[in-house]
Amino acid sequence: MPGKELSDPCMNCHEAEPEFTLRSRRVCQECYVRFVAFKAFKRMENYRLRKGMPKTGPCKLLLPLSYGVSSTVLLHMLHKQIEVLQSKSHGPAGFEILVLVVDPSTIAPLPLPEYGFDRIQETFPRCSFTQLPFHSILELDPDVHQIMSEYAGEGFADDTSNSDEERLASFRTSISTATSKSDVDRILLNRFIVAFAKKMECRGIVWGDSDSKLAAKTLANVAKGRGSAVTWQVCDGMSPFGLEYNFPLRDLFTAEVRTYAGLFPELAGIIAHDAPPSENVLTKNLSIDELMIRYVSTQGEKYPGVMLNVTRTASKLQSSGASSVGPQCSFCGSFMPTTNVATSTNSADGDEQLNKNLPPQFCYACARSRPDLRC
Amino acid sequence: MPPSPCATCHTNRAVIIRPKDRSKLCRECFIHIFETEVHETILATALFHRGERIAIGASGGKDSTVLASVLKTLNERYDYGLELCLLSIDEGIRGYRDDSLETVKRNAQQYNMPLEIVSYGELYGWTMDQVVAQVGKKGNCTYCGVFRRQALDRGAARLGIKHVVTGHNADDVAETVMMNLLRGDLPRLARGTSIVTGSAASEVKRSKPLKYAYEKEIVLYAHHCQLDYFSTECIYSPEAFRGSARTLIKDLEKIRPSSILDIVRSGEDMAGLVPAEVRGKAAEEEEEEGVAGGGCGSQNGRTRGGEMAEMERKLAEDEAAQDRETEIKMPVPAPRKKQTQKTGAPNKVKSQTLGTCERCGYISSQRVCKACTLLEGLNKNRPKTAIEMEVALDDEEISSTLMRQIEKVELGG
Repeated sequence: MPGKELSDPCMNCHEAEPEFTLRSRRVCQECYVRFVAFKAFKRMENYRLRKGMPKTGPCKLLLPLSYGVSSTVLLHMLHKQIEVLQSKSHGPAGFEILVLVVDPSTIAPLPLPEYGFDRIQETFPRCSFTQLPFHSILELDPDVHQIMSEYAGEGFADDTSNSDEERLASFRTSISTATSKSDVDRILLNRFIVAFAKKMECRGIVWGDSDSKLAAKTLANVAKGRGSAVTWQVCDGMSPFGLEYNFPLRDLFTAEVRTYAGLFPELAGIIAHDAPPSENVLTKNLSIDELMIRYVSTQGEKYPGVMLNVTRTASKLQSSGASSVGPQCSFCGSFMPTTNVATSTNSADGDEQLNKNLPPQFCYACARSRPDLRC
Repeated sequence: MPPSPCATCHTNRAVIIRPKDRSKLCRECFIHIFETEVHETILATALFHRGERIAIGASGGKDSTVLASVLKTLNERYDYGLELCLLSIDEGIRGYRDDSLETVKRNAQQYNMPLEIVSYGELYGWTMDQVVAQVGKKGNCTYCGVFRRQALDRGAARLGIKHVVTGHNADDVAETVMMNLLRGDLPRLARGTSIVTGSAASEVKRSKPLKYAYEKEIVLYAHHCQLDYFSTECIYSPEAFRGSARTLIKDLEKIRPSSILDIVRSGEDMAGLVPAEVRGKAAEEEEEEGVAGGGCGSQNGRTRGGEMAEMERKLAEDEAAQDRETEIKMPVPAPRKKQTQKTGAPNKVKSQTLGTCERCGYISSQRVCKACTLLEGLNKNRPKTAIEMEVALDDEEISSTLMRQIEKVELGG
């Protein structure tokens, strides 16, 4: 029996009623989901088929979950991939996903969906889950104790009789500006996640960042003097920590990730949506990270492709150059480029002072975020 | 609140909050520190050698005026043994350049330096006002940039000088880093931050001694030294990517004053990470970032947005084309591009063989140099269609604008 003639069917399958505009084509829901999920599917190919790695044995990947849209959608997509993998009797060994939740309420006071952790465990039974408070970093990565005091300098006295929670909190409050705070938090979180991944013997980390997050991250890193770190901060490949970094949602626009999330009711109770950016904040009180997220989202409305291209450009930089050898910063772990006579002599008094006060093991950008600096 | 003393000499009253690090300084200490920093940049990069003759690209604007003043001071104070002179380009923009040239003429007397003026009108037979009358405001910066590069070289040659210094400051360099990231221009990302930008195509090397000096400090220096400079900006339109980058950098500076230097630092680090095969591309053409100190592209964030919109459109088309191509993958560029390349060799990375332009004798990797190609277009009264292939092969930056125009012309019949 011939079905109802559609005057303007989905431009992809030509069968269903189109409901969404996907990169200027009108498509139906099924085709939309397929397209969006396929982007992440393709990015996981190497792990799914075990390309260039042992075909048997475990292949554990850590997925850090923030309850944000992107990381939750990534978890949803990868969980589906695992379901399909496991349904095949002679399929490839594939990968397994370990999820780490650094309890967001221990990072910033944010309202969270109740029972979020229970819900994700029910929703994604084929992954294993761990939730830890932020201050567990001091247990997982014992080096952090010493580095905290060295990094924070004289203004900070680490009281060893205090609990880990209090020690971390007092270190974080010793960091002065919004930019430095968010920079230091990012470094600590990265260390946390890396330490956990290593403890669990993971091969790599899959990050939820979508294209606009990565573009903002690229620009923010450049603005913070971390230009040489973009190669691992936003690119797929080996990080300085001996773990592979992957960003399976890198080809998706944030709007697409959001639309995808809206199509699965089971995600609604999990995702903690970011508060809309406040209009009343003075630019100078923002952190560089926030400024870049705003910049990318406002510019991205008009020029999404240009923003996507920022990350692609950064990905073309060679990580395996002279940058991946030599000393590593003892705080952020980046390789420190040994070039630049120039910037180290750029300000007659400022940097000279800086060099005198600093133990040499902090990189240029980490030195910028230290509490005793004026700027 | 009692007046605070200077953070350096502790005796005089502080009258300046330093933009770079917000330290409070007196007038004398600020001037001294500013000069010393430029001196240290010059020493650290071994920029000059004794007896070298230097042409200062002078526009009459704040950057080049400060550069001339500081170089004269340092040359005397530290006995560099340099022979300095001023070199100005007269683009022929009424109400802008004619007035600023008067400033340069006064500077030449004040600093007791010889002055050479090279004009577009004399060199090419076209002033920028005439070019704009011909091609319109859109894309006129392309002409100006190509012409200026050659004009500076020719001016230097006329003076027998092999080293031109320009007034680019840290803000300009940071802007260029951000802009090249936004444009996805890796070759320029690799080159943009180096202090000396000599190129194989020219005997004249360019350098920017104020590379680490903040724009705001340059203004303060000019103010406190009571320098005579001209503060109007070019009346023609700036480039959208630069405008967007400029706004962003001004915001960053508010958040963290050091971020301008941090971006320069990032740019230097990233330059080392650009793959060699990308880096060498189009070495002939250096970008003109408002040479001779804020000559162009310096309108505070005022943008037309056209370039960004164009690039957005192109990227979206590429993406769509890629999606359509999933079944048959061909190792050739997207079909859309073929149209513009039909008359010549494919646009591939090639090593450049340098010769001279057969018309004007300027060094060029092409039979006819780019300025002559543009001129031919102007002279034929058909600026957009006549320059197709040479430009496409010649330069990946300027061609992007031109290619689009060509495409439009071709597609539109």
